[in-house]
Amino acid sequence: MLPDFFEFHAPTRLVYGPGLVADLEAELARLPVRRFLAVSDRAVADLGLLARVTRGLADAGFDVVGEFFDVPPNSEVRVVENCARLAAELGADGFVAVGGGSVIDTAKAANVIASLGGDLVLDYSGSGTIEGPLLPLVAVPTTAGTGSEVTSVAIVYESDTRTKLPFSGTALLPTLAVLDPELTLSLPPGLTASTAMDALTHAVEAWISPQASPVTDALAARAVQMITGTVETAVDDGDDLETRGILLIASSLAGIAFSHAMVGCVHGMAHAAGGLCGVPHGVANAILLPHGLEYNLPAVGPKLADLAPFVGADTHGLPEEDAARAVIGSLRALGARLHDKGALPARLRDVGVTEQDLAAIAEATVMDGTSFYNPREVEAGGILEHLRRAY
Amino acid sequence: MGLFKSAEEFETMLAGFFRVVASREDIAAALLRSGLVIRFSYSDPDVIIVVDCSGEQIEVRTGDSSTKATVDMSMKAEIAHKFWFGKVNLMQALTRRQMVAKGPVPKILQLLPAIKPTYALYPQYLRENGYEEYIIY
Repeated sequence: MLPDFFEFHAPTRLVYGPGLVADLEAELARLPVRRFLAVSDRAVADLGLLARVTRGLADAGFDVVGEFFDVPPNSEVRVVENCARLAAELGADGFVAVGGGSVIDTAKAANVIASLGGDLVLDYSGSGTIEGPLLPLVAVPTTAGTGSEVTSVAIVYESDTRTKLPFSGTALLPTLAVLDPELTLSLPPGLTASTAMDALTHAVEAWISPQASPVTDALAARAVQMITGTVETAVDDGDDLETRGILLIASSLAGIAFSHAMVGCVHGMAHAAGGLCGVPHGVANAILLPHGLEYNLPAVGPKLADLAPFVGADTHGLPEEDAARAVIGSLRALGARLHDKGALPARLRDVGVTEQDLAAIAEATVMDGTSFYNPREVEAGGILEHLRRAY
Repeated sequence: MGLFKSAEEFETMLAGFFRVVASREDIAAALLRSGLVIRFSYSDPDVIIVVDCSGEQIEVRTGDSSTKATVDMSMKAEIAHKFWFGKVNLMQALTRRQMVAKGPVPKILQLLPAIKPTYALYPQYLRENGYEEYIIY
């Protein structure tokens, strides 16, 4: 069935190629930027990944006027403000973000303040509040999960309220996304698994979203197929460049899909668990994906059943609800196999969540922005029941 | 040229409706529980209405641009009018930027089930208060 309305807007120029960061002259030639502020984190810098990008920029004739490393695993308002301040002090006229989702989201949000001024939370939280244009932003992901290099969303933690604030708007879309799988070769098995499960969750939640469209469906289904077919190989053999490339591209496909269709209660629970208990985002999504889908099953059975061919579930001859349950079963089994490989925790209790935290996580899930886009009304009692199962 | 004859007419009409809504105990209870201060900024014509649910009773104030609101909602007057008939898909309106919401949007969204009965009240209110010509949806 077709939606009443949808729009699709994906202006980010996306380029892929092993070793591409060494030569970006052609891609950068037409950008109105000469002085980049590089945003990254210490781990990425220590691995030499940032240097590969900044060397490539220098070789192409661009100045990197400063480097901002102070990005925690979950970006924070304070960090964003510091980053924007540094950009202004150094006279940067563009950003290059090299890292995972937190790094790219930091650069996106800092770009808002650097370009438009104002207060990040007071002026730009909400929907449709960010009007561009912003300074050019080049996003170079070093993980294959967040999809932030192609999304119109940035998530920033506010420590006062212990909540993850979403900022959204097409102005946040990076100007250029550079997918170089060589930058993801150094990811350890645990991060490979959790980031891939994050991307898988983006794709699955986009697929069942009330905002899904034929365009996002095409992207989401392909992303699901690519991730479920390769993540175990990537965990087993991190040096397999082809597999790394597939996951990186799938992460972007999932990112474009959910940037339009949005995500639902799996992400809502993950945001809450991250905000309240510090559970890493990808790990939380990996644990909670089957549980969130079970919560949504009454609302999305037929659509979820249609995902069977893309997760490798044999549902031939099954009634729709059983087929949908088989899809959830396939995803749960994938998580279990990754757990058996030592790449993923299995339960919330394994990642610092206590039983007493569950009620607060359920309440925070209801208040999370994703609840608006969930296919079934997000209600604390039902969510709590599924959190207990995930515990 | 917008749908409404003047800012004064639209302001009186919509603020009057909000006061009717505030007088409905079932709806008011949910609004007061939220504690929200919502500023509606309309264009074409330009009108500001604040619905303040932070006290013991709901206050509806027109032209209040100084109170610090929890959420600022901006939209054309015609979109607002259509919304209160229950004819606007909020998700779509936000996506298309027909409505811009500044602040914690989920807190507003939590109120949607509570305000659903107002969609039936609106045409009734218009009819009873001399605004029949605007019953167009």
